[in-house]
Amino acid sequence: MTETNKPDVDVMDRQLVITRVFDAPRDLVWKAWTEPDRLALWWGPKGFKLMVAGLDLRPGGVFHYGMRTANGQEMWGKFVYVEVVAPERIVLISSFSDAAGNITRHPMSAAWPLEVMNTLTLTEHDGKTTLILRGGPHNATAEERKTFEDAKTNVQMGFKGTFDQLDEYLASAR
Amino acid sequence: MARSATTSDVFNAIAEAQRRQIIDLLSHGERSVNDVAAALGIRQPQASKHLRVLKEVDLVSVRGSGQQRLYRLNGEGLKPIHDWTMTFEHFWEESFDRLDEYLKQIQSKEKKND
Repeated sequence: MTETNKPDVDVMDRQLVITRVFDAPRDLVWKAWTEPDRLALWWGPKGFKLMVAGLDLRPGGVFHYGMRTANGQEMWGKFVYVEVVAPERIVLISSFSDAAGNITRHPMSAAWPLEVMNTLTLTEHDGKTTLILRGGPHNATAEERKTFEDAKTNVQMGFKGTFDQLDEYLASAR
Repeated sequence: MARSATTSDVFNAIAEAQRRQIIDLLSHGERSVNDVAAALGIRQPQASKHLRVLKEVDLVSVRGSGQQRLYRLNGEGLKPIHDWTMTFEHFWEESFDRLDEYLKQIQSKEKKND
């Protein structure tokens, strides 16, 4: 490995990687990611209704969305597409935003990175599609990177049990 | 809105390892400041300071009990952290569960239409 490769490895280590296999052909998974009507049916946090304000699938284009809870609370966010290679690869920068599409801070954390770079790859084998999503801070300050790192660590450091307990608490408080 | 980092941000409040230990300790039940200090092997003023930070972000609440003040974990205060984890790994996993459902539905519909 050359010296110049080292920073890349470091960056890789900071990323979140999620892998899932879907029992569907790649073209269909691609459509689910890129057509607003389909995207609105599955994407977003549980309990929110997704509102698609716009989806412009090309480098520099924006997917701008709102999320509304049953009690009327609203949150906005957006993707800015960096790379679009149908039907196998999308690179996008995700962030929270306001209703007008201006980037905002994480609603719950002032030190969360403003922008997260996500790389989606889709591969197909025997009619099944493997999805790999990588995400990491983009243009982040040292403090924002640390928040991202710490948050990952918190989850790994036995907070799981606390969250399970919190789940129960929230379920009973509802 | 300008905010002071440690006192108003839940995430900064829990970035400190001893405060995370305190949260874990309090998840088992109410404790006095002396109990907390003893469990963590730290001095009482230090434990008080940590508890104050956690109280400022509503992660713990306190009630007087005779001479003693008892601290307990406030589940609602932890909700932002919970929601945060939902926004990342859990958020995506949850969305992907729904994508899985959607793909199954749409494919069974297409088969029926053939």
